[in-house]
Amino acid sequence: MNNIFSSRAVCGACLSQSVLRWVGIRAPQFGPPLRARARMHTGHGKLTGSGGFYCPKRPQRCLTPQRHVSGRHGGTMNVFDRSMKRRQKTWASRLPEHHEYDYLRDEVGGRVADRVYDVARTFPLALDVGCGKSHIAEHVSKDIVERLFLMDVSHGSLMRKKECEMPTQCVMADEEFLPFRENTFDLVVSSLSMHWINDLPAALRQIHGVLKPDGVFIGAMVGGETLYELRCSLQLAELEREGGFSPHISPYTAAADMGNLLGQAGFNMLTVDVDEVQVHYPGILDVLYDLQGMGESNCAWNRKCLLHRDTILAAAAIYREMYGNEDGSVPATFEILHMIGWKPHESQVKPAQRGSATASFGELSKISQPQTSNKTDKP
Amino acid sequence: MSGVNVWTRSRERMKRFPELFAMCSAEAAVYGKCVVATTAGKQELKKDLCIKEFEALRTCFISAAKQGVK
Repeated sequence: MNNIFSSRAVCGACLSQSVLRWVGIRAPQFGPPLRARARMHTGHGKLTGSGGFYCPKRPQRCLTPQRHVSGRHGGTMNVFDRSMKRRQKTWASRLPEHHEYDYLRDEVGGRVADRVYDVARTFPLALDVGCGKSHIAEHVSKDIVERLFLMDVSHGSLMRKKECEMPTQCVMADEEFLPFRENTFDLVVSSLSMHWINDLPAALRQIHGVLKPDGVFIGAMVGGETLYELRCSLQLAELEREGGFSPHISPYTAAADMGNLLGQAGFNMLTVDVDEVQVHYPGILDVLYDLQGMGESNCAWNRKCLLHRDTILAAAAIYREMYGNEDGSVPATFEILHMIGWKPHESQVKPAQRGSATASFGELSKISQPQTSNKTDKP
Repeated sequence: MSGVNVWTRSRERMKRFPELFAMCSAEAAVYGKCVVATTAGKQELKKDLCIKEFEALRTCFISAAKQGVK
């Protein structure tokens, strides 16, 4: 495995901590430095860009250099606080009843596993990006995937991973900086974790990189109109109670954009389809508690950390009025985008050359008249 | 963070929200209809447009909470 960071781990504190900052992992403000664990968090060899010195005593928000993750031209999006997401996932995995919140991930993991079965191949080496507690592997058998790497940002989730048939290895790394060599994996899967990635095009390019030629990427991502009921209720409630509203639901990728993103990353033979999963809850607070228990709390930089109790009350009333069912329960919609993309290879079907046609569309009308079709026209 | 602190106390209080809200479903429906009417009608939603209905909902909610505590 490509592990360029191990050589840097023995350098001075500031260098290793600034490199840690570039890979998006935040060293704690108190406690021992992360040098001992540094070998787990590796960059992909693109550690360019200036950035300032990391100073552990300053609070998170006032360090402007930290918001630029890498030095790519055009700038990168920095929408989500990745270290906060890691803390949220670890907190969620440590709840005593954490398995109660797994229903959505298990369902989507099962659907991704179905798509893996649809590909009539055996994959010697597979990678699960953002696996959480590994919800896909439990549905997949050893004949299809022989060896599996599980990757997630949160150590707590990996510790509580579910049992599966094939031998697995856990890697704690950020999805935006895959610590693997090029052309390693036959299969990369990802289920319900890509909606927290800051730079999605770059992450898809990295997935494209670690795949072998003729390898396949099968992913499921929350997108489009997910949780629109919650979003609208909170917007209306905040507008009426406070006079303005701030975003509480993170921004999602639309289904149409997903195809473009995969194409730009270099994938071939794309398939994108949309599944809608609707879950019914007793009320708005149950929606919020379940999202928190899943580790899906908001971690965007621009989030408002406070929800007034008047706003919660108003949003509960509006949610029930606008979207409630007859029995008093409220629905929450999760729009899951399933995507399949292949890394190009010579064996894959290509579009035919121009001028190689042997029949003309003008002859379509003659198909229904088989007696006269012996005298074929020249194309 | 273990033991009893302000976060555990406020979480316990929030756990009572659904049952208290259920006691005020009528006022909640009236308030909800007032706000939803702005999405369809010509009037734009402004701050405190439905304040009367909200105050009714809030007083119902608070009295339900006080009843439960006794």
